[in-house]
Amino acid sequence: MIKFTNVSLIYPNSQQTVIEDLTFTVAEGELVLVMGSTGIGKSSLLRLINGLVPHHTGGILAGDISVNGISTQSVKPGGLAHLIGIVGQNPLNGFVTDTVEEELAFGMETLNLPPDVMRKRVEEILDLLSLAQLRNRSLATLSGGEQQRVAIGSALVMHPKVLVLDEPTSALDPVAAEEVLSILHRLVHDLGLTVIVSEHKLERVIQFADRIIHIQGGGQTQIGTPETIFASSALAPPIIHLARAMNVSEIPLSVRQMRRLTEPIRKHLSEITPDVVHTVDKAKIVVKVDRMSISYGAKEAIADTSLTICAGEIVAVMGRNGAGKSSLLRAIVGATSPSKGAVSIVGKDPFSLHGKERTELVGFIPQEPSDLLYGQSVREECSQADADNHVASGETFALIQTLVPGISQNTHPRDLSEGQRLSLALSVVLSAQPQLLVLDEPTRGLDYTAKVSLISILKEIAHAQDRAVIIATHDVELVAELASRVIFIAEGEIVADGTTMDVLLSSPAFAPQVAKVMSPSPWLTVKDVLTAMRNNP
Amino acid sequence: MNKSLHPLVWWIWAGSLATAVAMTSSIPLAFGVVGAAGLIVRRKAEKAPWAKSFAWSIKVGTWVIVIRVLTGVLIGVPIPGRTLFTLPIIPLPDWMAGIRIGGPVTFERLSSTAHDGILIAAIIGLLGAAASLSSPHRLLRSMPVMVYEFGVTIVIATSILPQFVTSVSRIKEAQRLRGHESRGLASWRRIALPLFEDSLSRSLDLAAAMDSRGYGYSRKRSKYRNDHWTTRDYALCAFALLVFLRPEYLLIIVALSPLVLAP
Repeated sequence: MIKFTNVSLIYPNSQQTVIEDLTFTVAEGELVLVMGSTGIGKSSLLRLINGLVPHHTGGILAGDISVNGISTQSVKPGGLAHLIGIVGQNPLNGFVTDTVEEELAFGMETLNLPPDVMRKRVEEILDLLSLAQLRNRSLATLSGGEQQRVAIGSALVMHPKVLVLDEPTSALDPVAAEEVLSILHRLVHDLGLTVIVSEHKLERVIQFADRIIHIQGGGQTQIGTPETIFASSALAPPIIHLARAMNVSEIPLSVRQMRRLTEPIRKHLSEITPDVVHTVDKAKIVVKVDRMSISYGAKEAIADTSLTICAGEIVAVMGRNGAGKSSLLRAIVGATSPSKGAVSIVGKDPFSLHGKERTELVGFIPQEPSDLLYGQSVREECSQADADNHVASGETFALIQTLVPGISQNTHPRDLSEGQRLSLALSVVLSAQPQLLVLDEPTRGLDYTAKVSLISILKEIAHAQDRAVIIATHDVELVAELASRVIFIAEGEIVADGTTMDVLLSSPAFAPQVAKVMSPSPWLTVKDVLTAMRNNP
Repeated sequence: MNKSLHPLVWWIWAGSLATAVAMTSSIPLAFGVVGAAGLIVRRKAEKAPWAKSFAWSIKVGTWVIVIRVLTGVLIGVPIPGRTLFTLPIIPLPDWMAGIRIGGPVTFERLSSTAHDGILIAAIIGLLGAAASLSSPHRLLRSMPVMVYEFGVTIVIATSILPQFVTSVSRIKEAQRLRGHESRGLASWRRIALPLFEDSLSRSLDLAAAMDSRGYGYSRKRSKYRNDHWTTRDYALCAFALLVFLRPEYLLIIVALSPLVLAP
């Protein structure tokens, strides 16, 4: 179906080839996963398939790519619209119209299909992706999972043979992600659709993949079945790391398989209970939320919520898309004023804080870290932060160097990778030494390596420097590694608040992979299990 | 099916009301009609970005009244009558004879400029109501194919606009939380740069999405759904045009008629 022959790609103004001499074929009805670190060329590879690269972005392409026998060199992306459906990283950015039904029809209108065909196909897709109740809804009001489904639907409606998806679940909560992936699985199996998908959260997808393309950087690429790739790859989900450490005989791709392989080890570990690593001294209260409600018009985003967070705690706020996580966070940092009740940070109302007083009390990393940045270079950004926070010149840059060693002072913030940009925003915020650090979905585009360094930074801040950290995220694995306490929000109310272990283990959808494997024993991370194994041989 | 009114109907309704207001030239009626239109917008407008047009048009209208009164009082031909107060006259060169800045302000001059201002504001308000009540996208879809191609471009531009507004407030907020207050020119640079980047990457995303969905590849385009006129649409149009028979009596009734006639 898809055939790459000796493909190399280099972008203009760049010395580094993104892809070098890549040759592979994808058969009809295969689901292929593209993995690799951030900024290494996954999106480029996906966009090569329908010719968006280089037709749309520029760059030099050598070799040949053909889809269903049509070479992308001779045809523009528009000419392949009936053959390839492509769903971008952020579906909302790719929406052209304003309601679900019109969005589904848009592609067919451009292909000049007769109205009766369009009506029939729209109904088919509405049923296939269970979008029927949403047909007249405005796209902007849909939740993340629904938007993703509409984007998939508007690609499928053209009856393509190939579907290409760029990180389809990275912005979704575990339940919505599950929904999208099971749809993909069904499309592959029922309709024989060929699917190419890239994803950072490997734990979600590897069990569905037939083959994996691993882009290793510097033009190196490895292609093979999941078993062969994960026999050696450093980039791997927790379940693989656990399997390697436990020395099991096969490479497990699903929790079920891993449970089967680890039965004796689990039995051995079942008598041991994990020790609580970090205890928090409840004396120093940093955040106090007192019977707070937030409403936007008639809609209540947060209803009558009380909460205290102490120094030294790392609190993860979890919940479905649109459950009120961001509203809670925004009220805590003082972006909005609550409609009822009160918030205080170390006794002060965050909404009334300004300038230096604000930055010393609370630091906030928004969903788009680049919103904070406006300097023309890393150097400019750092010296601005030094001046703002009255710290010695060069201190912020020293901070970022501990986070991402080897970052160049002259790089423009836009040219940094996702992880580097987050680190820059973090150092700018941290240079003021805030009592409370709040992060809204920091791991959207982060790979495992970047996540590991984020975890160590945040732990250092909370435990060594005795500050409070609040983090809103969908990333269960991150929460398991990082947080000491989890708050679960649904429909604007706190439905669970407790230690990470209690909250994560009580919900099957939000349990991390290790917990699913080790169930019913209460283990959350690979590291915990390994320590226990070492101590109890 | 509970189909909402054809977008053109709203424009005909608002257009006839605006014309009638201008014909009657009565201030109480102008206020009454805008009030009635406001009520209709409150009751009938869908939850969409363009629903705010009415509120915007009222703001613009208020400015129109203020500016009209100020310029009317300051510049222009004096109307004799009861003098309220006198402004100093600014001397002008000879070649500008006939124009006077300042001088005595009479009650008559004040009231006549305010009268004009209010009428203009009322017309703006009514058109704003029509914009609030009808989806610009549906309106464009009901246009002939020639205009439609151009229309698609407008649709895309208008769906980007609300995103642009949210981006601005998002960035402003983030900057405030970094301890930078957004005041003055310097803060504009701080907002403009991330905003520019954000919009640029959005438009590139959108362009790529449209490109890969075949936009502009085939010369002909089909239409998914044509808007047909229903009896209700015709009824409201006919009723709206009735206003011209006796504007002074029918104006408010016609303005409120969508309460009964619209679904």
